[in-house]
Amino acid sequence: MNAAMPQDPILQISRLQKRYGDVNVLKDIDISMAPGEFLVLVGPSGCGKSTLLSCISGLTDISSGTIRIAGKDRTNDEPADRDIAMVFQSYALFPNMSVERNIGFGLEVRKVEETEKKRKVAEVADLLKIEHLLYRRPAELSGGQRQRVAMGRALVREPKLFLFDEPLSNLDAKLRVTMRTEIKRIHQTTNASIVYVTHDQIEAMTLASRIVVMKDGVVQQIGTPQEIYNKPVNAFVADFMGAPSMNLMTGTATREGDHLRLQIPTPDGPPLELFDYGPGPETLSVGGTAELTIGLRPEAMTDLGLRSGGIDGRSLQSADCLLDVVEPAGADTYAVIQLGGTEAVARLSADAPVTAGQRVPIAFDLSKISYFDIASGNRL
Amino acid sequence: MLGRRQKREKWILLAPALALLALVTLIPLANTLWLSFTDTRISALPEPVHFIGLENYVYALTDPDFQDALFRTLYFTIVSVGLEGILGVAVAVLLNQEFRGRTLLRALIILPWAVPTIVNAVAWRLIYHPDYGALNSLLFQLGLISDYRSWIGDPATAMNMVILADVWKNFPLVAYVALAALQTVPGDLNKAAAIEGAGPWKRFRSITLPWIAGPLMVVMVLRTIEAFRVFDIIYVMTGGGPADSTKTASFYVYQEYFNYLRSGSGASYAVLVAGISAVLIVFYYSATKRQTAGGAA
Amino acid sequence: MKRSLVQSILLYGCALLLAAFTTGPLLWLAVMSISAPTDLTEVPLRWIPSELDFSRYTSLLSLEGGNGERFLSALRNSLLTAGGATVIALLLAIPAAYAFSRRQASMVLLFAFLATIMMPPITYVLPLYSTFSSFGMLNHTVTLIIVYTAMLLPFATWLMKANIDVLPVEVEQAAFMEGAGTAYTIRQVVLPLALPAIAATAMLSFLVAWDEFFYALIFTNDLSAKTLPVAIADFSAGRVTDYGVIASVGVLATLPPAILAIAFQKFIVSGLVAGSVKG
Repeated sequence: MNAAMPQDPILQISRLQKRYGDVNVLKDIDISMAPGEFLVLVGPSGCGKSTLLSCISGLTDISSGTIRIAGKDRTNDEPADRDIAMVFQSYALFPNMSVERNIGFGLEVRKVEETEKKRKVAEVADLLKIEHLLYRRPAELSGGQRQRVAMGRALVREPKLFLFDEPLSNLDAKLRVTMRTEIKRIHQTTNASIVYVTHDQIEAMTLASRIVVMKDGVVQQIGTPQEIYNKPVNAFVADFMGAPSMNLMTGTATREGDHLRLQIPTPDGPPLELFDYGPGPETLSVGGTAELTIGLRPEAMTDLGLRSGGIDGRSLQSADCLLDVVEPAGADTYAVIQLGGTEAVARLSADAPVTAGQRVPIAFDLSKISYFDIASGNRL
Repeated sequence: MLGRRQKREKWILLAPALALLALVTLIPLANTLWLSFTDTRISALPEPVHFIGLENYVYALTDPDFQDALFRTLYFTIVSVGLEGILGVAVAVLLNQEFRGRTLLRALIILPWAVPTIVNAVAWRLIYHPDYGALNSLLFQLGLISDYRSWIGDPATAMNMVILADVWKNFPLVAYVALAALQTVPGDLNKAAAIEGAGPWKRFRSITLPWIAGPLMVVMVLRTIEAFRVFDIIYVMTGGGPADSTKTASFYVYQEYFNYLRSGSGASYAVLVAGISAVLIVFYYSATKRQTAGGAA
Repeated sequence: MKRSLVQSILLYGCALLLAAFTTGPLLWLAVMSISAPTDLTEVPLRWIPSELDFSRYTSLLSLEGGNGERFLSALRNSLLTAGGATVIALLLAIPAAYAFSRRQASMVLLFAFLATIMMPPITYVLPLYSTFSSFGMLNHTVTLIIVYTAMLLPFATWLMKANIDVLPVEVEQAAFMEGAGTAYTIRQVVLPLALPAIAATAMLSFLVAWDEFFYALIFTNDLSAKTLPVAIADFSAGRVTDYGVIASVGVLATLPPAILAIAFQKFIVSGLVAGSVKG
């Protein structure tokens, strides 16, 4: 999971556990982060991502394990001593202070000299394009402006590590997209090391240099967005990341010589047959058959349309499928197909001439196939 | 979510308050307890202290005068708190209706609560004056009585008159709490009941009263605790008389201490009264716990 | 539901009755205070004064003459005692409230705080009396301030805690992240946000202290320390020829709390309701 780091990691979490009474909220977390990375912690509600962020910040004590920031052991240090900055979900701006004082608060506490403080605040305000707001109060600002002030407060101290706790959740959809780009731009300009928590996996995919997927206090997978997307380590990650999610179908695979014969049951008629010429699960030996979960993303199941030329019977194969429901969605058309005990979604081109109830040839891109164990959900 | 240092800070933050309270309440409480096992008297000259164990308590528990004082206190508490409850809820129901002048009236009823206890006692004493009091004049001029009466000079009526004065001062608190609770009753409930044919009294008993019972109970227990230790109004209105008819438990202890200068035995009475108060305080806590656990506040 | 005429009459009748019941005694007190002395000893009583006599007020509010001197001394003592105790109680209550609200101080301890003032004062009074006596502290305003501060502390802590609870905790966490210590955060971040709560708590505390009688009775001897309630009790116990004077003293003593109560009624009522009911 962790490649050898060429430089010292900016953040190193080892065997971190957090218990509330008998409940184990974070179990054996191991994360290593290089400087300049944008590390996103993502997962469903209750997975522990916010708690983990809080532990990194020092606002929450941990039960066991260590946290090293910029090479120093900070496990027992106060938040203020960890050389970090945090942007809260609600921005947590001081309502009774001006924007200027809000941003410069950390410098004020550290008794930085007045002119120096003013200079740094002006610098940061300029970067975030909020210089014209310096004398306003938070109550007078819009959501997007408050977010920038919160980021300004974090940036002005030039800490080693930035922590963002779902900063975009309180914004409306359109503003969220704008601010997302803003954050990405600031990351690129400043090359800051950022740990970012979100429940929105699209945000995770677009912002992250690496993603940490969490569930029930356990790290499921750490990897680049590509790795997470194409090679999810278990069925949960496969389902959670990507929208629409990966189709997880129950079927059987039989190893026959140089290929696997896949049989995916359909509610009516013979099972769908596909042949995978790729490696397939290691545990399946020649002549063996196994029942497993077969994963294919919707974009790996399309109409022949532009693809008919590519059908080579190996990585791209075609088979007829009964379309249950057809949903035109503007740029694409989604078709629901009953396959392998689930409602699989195929992504067809917008002008595909299909209607519900039709039997239509679907192109399956087998280079994108994933196999998971039915019981554990782990990748095979 | 607290860091280690922050958890320790709570003692520093609490220290001054704890210190003061310990000095002014805990230590005197322990002292009173200790005193109750002695036969000390208040005197200018230092006297040797004799421990007499439970003698004071045995005397106190079998003392008919003290028992009378306790019963009187019980009477005062039950009647005054009961009246405050009934009057308070009735007033709240009235103030919950829509009518012109409602806002003014709602503001007006804070006045009795704002009047200092002593002023209240003195004012009512003037009203009850046997020769020149407003009550006598009013009732006489309305033809309701044929002769002026000595309201607080008559052992038969004194306690009730004191109760009236106390209820007048304290019903606003109950009224405000009941009103706040009434305002949370969803209008639909009463409408639905009315459609089902329930008359106003039935609706009040089955819907409104249970709904406001929680906060109402809490404030009534609070009033009970305060009523039980009544002293100020007794001291000023009747001085415990006439013929001890208004001598309540706290007043009894006061006399033991400062009239008879019997600190040891006075302390035993004080501990007994404190014990009963403590029981009432426990009731208060269970009432508030139930109230917050139950939800609707 | 439209009201019938009978219902309306009943309703307004009750409202009038309530208004009369509530304000009657006070109005009568005020009328007594400006009635001629002879009116007050007429039988049957004259309800409307034959002439308006404000002389009692002028005498009470002047420094010459016994009545005025006594009243103004007692007023001064009440102001100092109630005011001083309120200020100190708040100074102690705010950090304590912060500990209960944000530092996980035990709720059992807070209940114990409250229990101390729910116990009758006779539980504490004698040892306090002996102690103060042996330090020569009887009959001093400072002594009362100490006792009153302890008396006001639990309720003030309770109210402030409830109010700090509803402030956004993330703002304080942000301050900690920026390196501010607890004291700095309380001063710069929490207090400015809690000002209305502090005002309400101060007002309620002041009213409670202004009203206190028992400790003032026991711990003071003369007008150098006697508060208004004790002075009034003394005054009305003595032989009095003019009941109007008692009435006017009563009116004057009622004015400060009454004005505060009417002016800040919403504040006070919500504070009272919250204090009595929220567990």
